Amino acid sequence: MPVVEVDPDELRRLTGHDEKSDEALVEDLFALGLELEGETERGDLRLEFGPDRLDRLSVEGVARSLRYQYGDDRGVYVPSTNDPDWTIEVDASVPPERPYVTGAVARGVDLDEAALDSLIQLQEKLHATIGRERAKGAIGIHDLTMLKGRALDGAGRSGPANSVTYRGVDPEGDRFVPLDADRELTPAGVLRDHPTGETYADLVAGLDRYPAIDDEIGLFSFPPVINGRRTEVGTASRTLLIELTGTDQPTIDRMCTVICYALDARGATIEEVTVEYADGADPPAAGRSLRRPDLAVDLKRVSHDRVESVLGVDLDESTVVDLLERSGLDATVEDGVYAVEVPPYRVDVLHPLDLIDDVGRAYGFNDLEPRYPDVATVGKRHGGSRLESAVRTQLVGLGFEDLLNFHMTDAATTFDRMGVEPGAAVLGGGPAVEIVEPYSEDYAVVRTWALPSLVSVLANNTHRSYPQDLAEVGFVARRDDDEPTGVAEARHVAAVLARPDASYEDAKARLAALAADLGADLTTPATEHPSFIDGRAAAVTLDGDRAGVVGELHPAVLVDHDLELPVAAFEFRLDALR
Amino acid sequence: MRLPESQVAVLEAASATDERTVTAVAEETGLKPETVTGAAFDLRDEGLVSVSERERVTYRLTEEGERYRDAGLPELRLYRAARDGDGPVPIGDAADAAGLGGETVQIALSNLARKEYGAVDAGAVDPDADADPDVDPEAAALDAVATGEDADETALSRLVERSLAERDERTVRSLTLTDAGVTALMEGVEAAETVDRLTPDLLTSGEWRDVEFGAYDVEADAPDVEGGRVHILRQTAERVKEVLVGMGFREMQGPHADAEFWINDCLFMPQDHPARTHWDQFALDVPPADGLPQDLVDRVAAAHREGVGEDGDGYDSPWTEDIARGVDLRGHTTSLSMRHLSGHALGDLDPPERFFSVEKVYRNDTLDPTHLLEFFQIEGWVMADSLSVRDLMGTFEEFYRQFGVTDIEFKPHYNPYTEPSFELFGQHPETGELIEIGNSGLFRDEVLRPLGVECDVMAWGLALERLLMLIYGFDDIRDVHGTLCDLDLLRSVEVCY
Repeated sequence: MPVVEVDPDELRRLTGHDEKSDEALVEDLFALGLELEGETERGDLRLEFGPDRLDRLSVEGVARSLRYQYGDDRGVYVPSTNDPDWTIEVDASVPPERPYVTGAVARGVDLDEAALDSLIQLQEKLHATIGRERAKGAIGIHDLTMLKGRALDGAGRSGPANSVTYRGVDPEGDRFVPLDADRELTPAGVLRDHPTGETYADLVAGLDRYPAIDDEIGLFSFPPVINGRRTEVGTASRTLLIELTGTDQPTIDRMCTVICYALDARGATIEEVTVEYADGADPPAAGRSLRRPDLAVDLKRVSHDRVESVLGVDLDESTVVDLLERSGLDATVEDGVYAVEVPPYRVDVLHPLDLIDDVGRAYGFNDLEPRYPDVATVGKRHGGSRLESAVRTQLVGLGFEDLLNFHMTDAATTFDRMGVEPGAAVLGGGPAVEIVEPYSEDYAVVRTWALPSLVSVLANNTHRSYPQDLAEVGFVARRDDDEPTGVAEARHVAAVLARPDASYEDAKARLAALAADLGADLTTPATEHPSFIDGRAAAVTLDGDRAGVVGELHPAVLVDHDLELPVAAFEFRLDALR
Repeated sequence: MRLPESQVAVLEAASATDERTVTAVAEETGLKPETVTGAAFDLRDEGLVSVSERERVTYRLTEEGERYRDAGLPELRLYRAARDGDGPVPIGDAADAAGLGGETVQIALSNLARKEYGAVDAGAVDPDADADPDVDPEAAALDAVATGEDADETALSRLVERSLAERDERTVRSLTLTDAGVTALMEGVEAAETVDRLTPDLLTSGEWRDVEFGAYDVEADAPDVEGGRVHILRQTAERVKEVLVGMGFREMQGPHADAEFWINDCLFMPQDHPARTHWDQFALDVPPADGLPQDLVDRVAAAHREGVGEDGDGYDSPWTEDIARGVDLRGHTTSLSMRHLSGHALGDLDPPERFFSVEKVYRNDTLDPTHLLEFFQIEGWVMADSLSVRDLMGTFEEFYRQFGVTDIEFKPHYNPYTEPSFELFGQHPETGELIEIGNSGLFRDEVLRPLGVECDVMAWGLALERLLMLIYGFDDIRDVHGTLCDLDLLRSVEVCY
């Protein structure tokens, strides 16, 4: 879950509620769904929240939500924007893997340290969430006064006289000084020699042309990796150019919207930019001309009946409208249907149901009276689960300690240490289902049989009293390309008897009792299994179905597990008892 | 007649004419007095002897008493020594002559005065010439106690006061043969043996009637017994299943390894969602899954791309069937819910329905005392024509109440697949701490409509281990689940019912 650091003083200032104590703020924030996780060294609140409300990734957005909660604001707010002065031209050379760009200009920005920190944090959090670690959308913010725009060329094109260009460049071509560096590097050089470049190298490595934005002077942004040092934003910056590149237009437009709302809350004036996609740019954007940021209000309709049925309470229409306005939405109602205006920063709203959630939150979910639903159904256990439970009960009656082991294990445990060759045509031979790029080598395959787990428990409990009679009814799996998933799943019954005088007979006696309990006819024709002593192993055959193996474990297996006493064991498929 | 050996001996030692004390019988038979007493009562119960009881007081000389009996009471020795002189004799001289020293001098002086054998004045003993030490009642009582004869009660009390004798009061039991006892003896009584174990032979032959069972030390510790038991987590799962079946839920089972389609795509989880990276789930090295229902795949793809309903929006994320066909270990059992709701598990379902499962799920998490890579998820859902947030709250309150968790709090939450969504918090019964105990909500239209479900479905999920820790207060789940488990803990933990 994302964590946002918020300065409580900033929060008081931006909400206009100086009287609120830290404790009162924390309580109000919890009501919004922002949970206090701790505090930073300098006293900022570390807030944890669900990743849907991207508009709350900064102190400005959190403050806006609080103002709605306090009733200080109501209804939809959209910042006013000025007409564009700048253009972002999109050249046909832009890499097709990252074809989209958007942006905005913010003037009259007043950035103190706190505001600058908040802006940087907002960028990082947007990258981490909707931006998918910059793969889907990456933000660059620049001091506009450091840019020298190009005059638009080509006759008959109207629009502002200042433009920058988003294009694809030769990785070893243009040189620029990136942030946190003091020498010029090529884009490829950044990936090799700059720490930030190394971090994000995977996002562009393999592209023929690297994404870049340049002005009259040269390259100043290398998205999604790093900005140039020339346009670095500081507390003295008053005019900003925000540019975003990504893999689809709506995502970067939403990220841009969230940033514009945050800057607006800091007193900035938002100015549109024109985005001009070249005719040769990647379809479907080719030739399009856009005005950004896109702060259009969305309209969604939701019926009064649905609001009432989801919340389970009767409400007046005027109450619902009021609750919507207190959520920062606007609504009109006609014939029992609300037409709800949704501001553009509410990127979480996909469906009218999301608006009902807003109504519920504003109403106070905890004020709803729980009721047991008046719905009659008949409960029932699954047959497989009943069988498993019955077998477990019988095993316990026979004196076994019922165990529960992990289904994920490693090849050494399931094969090597049991003396089993992977893929061998014996119980437990697999082949094993392997986990792709396992997080830990201890959990790299799904167990092919359960006995290795029980033998591991014996090995880990040699300091505990004997006899140790252990059993498990559990999940196993093996590769089988005839299955739709490529995985054949089964439940096995496994048991070990570890005691100084354990013998084949002890295991068979209990196996026979279990088979008889379940009404299965047991025979035990001799067999060979590499985990067992030759001549002391038999195939567990239930109603004629060869379902497993019973015998005395091989001394080599015991020694490999540091066991100093004999172990008799059996394992077979649970479904053979049906 | 056959009687236990000890009873035979006691019966034979008893007399029809004389009362015989237990002590006397014990001496004669060589049995322990308590054995004789036990046998006497058993014989009395059979009507063969009568037992009388009386309280008897006996006296016994203390070590000091024995010493004075041999050497004479100090006051008498002092008196005799003083009498040999002429008139008052200095105490020192009299004591020396009497052979008294230390504290016996003081004892002699005070008792001499008490018995009026003379006066003690100005450091001298002045004996009364008329006194007769040879008829001293206390000296006589000393002798009487030693020889077991009767003595003067006053003198005896004085000896006890002087710690020269100890008084002992006890019940003396005596037995006399009854007529039936006499008859039995005349007809002949055989001794039955004392046995250690009740054997099948004893039972089938009827010999058990004639034997005496040796007494055990019934308070001694017995050896430890390690009976088998169902794993504590399985017990808890059984309890949960029982509760849910009681609430009208049917149990679901299904594949652990499943197509991402069922695990994630049906749940309206965008394919580029951070939780779908391999760091969070276990992808399996198998070919893409076959046999996904194409019509359903198309509807789910459309929901992701375009949304559901007139005003619904989709995700601006790429959606490919290739990713949907990737096979993972399920990260939640909601994949089973999707299979059931779509009709691909049990055929089309008509509302109302309730379903649950308590099955393993797999999450690529950091292993720590409260997180495992594999754990059991309790999954439940209710399908009905119309369900509200209040129905959801009421259902969970009822469920958790079964486990002693009351005062549930519902915190509005975000899930990609439910709206509204709630995290459930409950108070730890011991610590009072507010802990997360579940996640719930109403399935979104984007989940239900592609599955072909036109009514409402509410669902929730909870880690079984969390419930177990809540009930038992375990602080490290690794002690009970997995091959690092401690057998001693599993063997000693209280059962769950």
